[in-house]
Amino acid sequence: MEILQVQNLCKTYGKSETKVEALKKVSFLLEKGSFSAVVGESGSGKSTLLNCIGALDVPTSGTVLIDGQNLFTMKEEERTIFRRRNIGFIFQSFHLVAELNVEQNIIFPLLLDYRKPDTAAVEEILEILGLKDRRHHLPNQLSGGQQQRVAIGRALITKPKLILADEPTGNLDSQNSQEVLDLLLRASRHYQQTILMITHNNNLAASTDRVLRVSDGLLTDMSQTDRKEEGYRDEKLS
Amino acid sequence: MKNYLDLVSRYEKAHKKQNRMSIFCIILSVFLVTTIFGMADMFIKSQLMQTRKEDGDWHVALSRISDEEAALIAARPDVSTLVCYGTLNYQLNLGYTLAEKEVVILGSEKELLTEIYGISIPEGSFPQTENEALVSSNIKKQLNLEVGSQISIRDAQGMEHPYTISGFVEDTPMILRQDIYGVFLTTDAYRALFPGVTDGEPDDYDSCFLVRFRYPNRIRRSIDDIKTQFHLSDTQVGEQAMLLGLLGQSDEGNLFMMSIYGAAAVLSALVLLAGVLMIAGSLNSNIAGRTEFFGMLRCIGATPKQIIRMVHREALTLCRLAIPVSIGASMLVIWILCALLRFLSPKYFGTMPFFSISLPGIAAGIVIGILTVILAARAPARRASRVSPLTAVAGMSDPADVRKAANTALHRVNIALGIHHARSNRKNFLLVTASFALSIILFLSFSTTVDFMKHAITPLKPWSPDISVLSPDNGCSLNHGLIAQLSGTPAVKRVYGRMFAYNLSTVTDGREGTAMLISYDETQFQWAKDYLIDGSLKDVQERSGTGIIVSAPQYNNQTKIQTGDTVTFMIGETPVEIEIVCMVSECPFNTESGDIILCSEDTFRNITGLTDYTVIDIQLTHRATDADVDAIRALAGPENTFSDKRADNQSVLGVSYSFKLFIYGFLALIALVTICNIINCVAMSVEARMKQYGGLRAIGMSDRQLSGMILAQTLTYALSGWLGGTILGLAFHRFLFEHLVSVRWSEPWSFPLAELCVIIVIVALSVMLAMRNPLRKIREMSIVETLYAE
Repeated sequence: MEILQVQNLCKTYGKSETKVEALKKVSFLLEKGSFSAVVGESGSGKSTLLNCIGALDVPTSGTVLIDGQNLFTMKEEERTIFRRRNIGFIFQSFHLVAELNVEQNIIFPLLLDYRKPDTAAVEEILEILGLKDRRHHLPNQLSGGQQQRVAIGRALITKPKLILADEPTGNLDSQNSQEVLDLLLRASRHYQQTILMITHNNNLAASTDRVLRVSDGLLTDMSQTDRKEEGYRDEKLS
Repeated sequence: MKNYLDLVSRYEKAHKKQNRMSIFCIILSVFLVTTIFGMADMFIKSQLMQTRKEDGDWHVALSRISDEEAALIAARPDVSTLVCYGTLNYQLNLGYTLAEKEVVILGSEKELLTEIYGISIPEGSFPQTENEALVSSNIKKQLNLEVGSQISIRDAQGMEHPYTISGFVEDTPMILRQDIYGVFLTTDAYRALFPGVTDGEPDDYDSCFLVRFRYPNRIRRSIDDIKTQFHLSDTQVGEQAMLLGLLGQSDEGNLFMMSIYGAAAVLSALVLLAGVLMIAGSLNSNIAGRTEFFGMLRCIGATPKQIIRMVHREALTLCRLAIPVSIGASMLVIWILCALLRFLSPKYFGTMPFFSISLPGIAAGIVIGILTVILAARAPARRASRVSPLTAVAGMSDPADVRKAANTALHRVNIALGIHHARSNRKNFLLVTASFALSIILFLSFSTTVDFMKHAITPLKPWSPDISVLSPDNGCSLNHGLIAQLSGTPAVKRVYGRMFAYNLSTVTDGREGTAMLISYDETQFQWAKDYLIDGSLKDVQERSGTGIIVSAPQYNNQTKIQTGDTVTFMIGETPVEIEIVCMVSECPFNTESGDIILCSEDTFRNITGLTDYTVIDIQLTHRATDADVDAIRALAGPENTFSDKRADNQSVLGVSYSFKLFIYGFLALIALVTICNIINCVAMSVEARMKQYGGLRAIGMSDRQLSGMILAQTLTYALSGWLGGTILGLAFHRFLFEHLVSVRWSEPWSFPLAELCVIIVIVALSVMLAMRNPLRKIREMSIVETLYAE
């Protein structure tokens, strides 16, 4: 079942001479429960793609359908509520709320939705993230890896259909990076969530189900290319 | 780039937007301080003008000195003008008349009019010989005389003193009000006329020498010097206290003026403090939003001292634009106020320059501006210098700021975050709260000056007439038909008459007393509504035999008669009863002996049997000319006293306008400080947290929830500031009220409810205004922009 449909997505910044086409007619689909990676050079348009999918930014043209719903035909308030309930975000620089402790940060999207957090679900997430003994700590009392785990917990708590992660391991060392990736993979399997992650790390990308490459605003599905290349090689060999 | 401090100007060029708010704060603070000083300067100038116009431009009056001594004093280099000045029949009690009308005789020189009083001689000239006289212009109109005509002053013994008119001089307010004539003679002619003179005695002829000094800042020294040199006693040297007080040269304290200046100095210092807090707040927020930048500087080797220097340089760089702009704006405001004064009271402030530039004022503005900024930059500079180099590496903004998690159990999460944002940084919270509180303290403190003004300046009452026609014997002899005649005159706006019955014997509840019975017409009953203490005015108007009792303790008129009492008058031998059905606190006449009872014209006529008026008051339209007044005088007839009070009213209005402009202007500025302070704090705090707001919006906080969060933060500041400011402000209000008002007018302090309501409205308005722009800005920015905002 398709959870995300991106069709002919274009994003242009500036005008005339300063015009930059960050995304050029990008189209792809994501199946429910899949874990995909977006790779590409710096400035290739990866973050722009993620921001447009998550409705953090407005595309110049094209459509984004999440679970069949077009985000950009919604009003701002409606879109915010949809995002809050259906999309989880994980940022490179965590973006935790400095004034809230670990537990409060995790349940924050539920509080914004005026919902009462399910204690068992919170306990489970804290358990999975290994943050049970740090639940009352403030972000400034945590290491970078722990902070990113809190951000993952916050993205998971609403059980969103789609999790968008923008270089979640960019600020972490290799050990923490691997831990974060394992967590995301586990979450994806456990909660049947679709994850789209930007990364520079080829090893991490290799661990995902599918790799999408963005280059000069154009998107290539590396899995299909690899399959084509494999097929071509098989043909030649036979 | 030759010096590390050059980074400041480069940074400023690249981040103009971030500095805009700090520049605005500096502009506002310096503008306020310079405007306050400018307004104080303007107020003193206006008071000087009015004092010179009304009381004359002289500094001391020397009495009982010889002409020789006077000549020696006049020759001193520090004396600019010395004029001999004597008056005869000034109290109208010596029996001098001219054409049957009381006349005041002045003996002096031309300089008295031209130099000291600035009175013009529209026709003719000052008398040159003992036979000539300069007379008031009303003589020309009323007696139909011209230059060269003969007049004759009759003294109490019936002796005639003839003079030839040498010219006509402007009428003074006193001449017009009292309906008398004024005659100026030469000093010699005046002395010749002076009664009871034998062998040149008395040698002072009830006159004195008015002296104006050349150097205003050395007047005190000159006075002391003259006293010593000519062995003059204190009683021989009368000082013009008001003028000397305004020039800062009053010796015997002029306690009243000094206490006003003292209060102004304290309040100016408070305003300066508010300015410092406001700039410090804005610089603080600016620094708070740039901790990574300072961390980076520390990382690459900048010492804390160098960071302090950079912040100081940055603040001073901001002054480069802010100070000229604020001084320019302040000058503009002062010019507008001067123009307003000229427009409102051209008679007194007509000579006030439109575009005066006060160089000392500008210099003070620059010094105060730089001083304010340096003082305000101290704390933020120290804060910037303490930023750890780790901040740049960690990519966190001031992690040490948060010590405690927000309380999400008590409030909704966005509200809890808003309150926490306001309170998390204790220093910043105290700074902002203190700054709000200070504005409120200032507002409450300054509002006492309004009470002071209301007591110090007698405003024109609604019934104040421009012209009064009075019965010559104070009886009821003005034909009541005159009212109808006068109301038909186009220049007359309103005309109303009163009948008086004096010293009527009364009996109330067995108590005997005296009372004055005055009739009111429809118009006067309307005005009385504003002064009603008790009862119904309608009853008095509609029911014959009813009356109003006046209770005016402010004029020492404390009556024992109450609403509901019946007062029995003895009209001749007949007792007549009046039922008192209401009480008022003011009426156009005051008496300390006996009661004042007001009644309708019908009741008055029924009781006294009199039908004509004692006084007819006239209020003129704005377009009324002197010719119109002459026509009204002709209608009133020569047998009645005609009192022209226009000049007096102008004077009252002049004082009232300058006071009101100064005091309400000042209050408006303080309200502006409060509003700008709140707006600025909110804008700065939103600007500093833009990135965080981006994050919150990304994870699902709606615009409405964001508004709630910012509102909670703003209200936390505003309410804490309001609470602190109100508690301290009330103490200040009481202290100042007791020192400015209670001491002089014995009015006890009362809770300033109206002022507190105004403050609540100002704070609420400011909060609404403060929220508007930052929220619009956030809404207009895409989440990505706010997320990655610098």
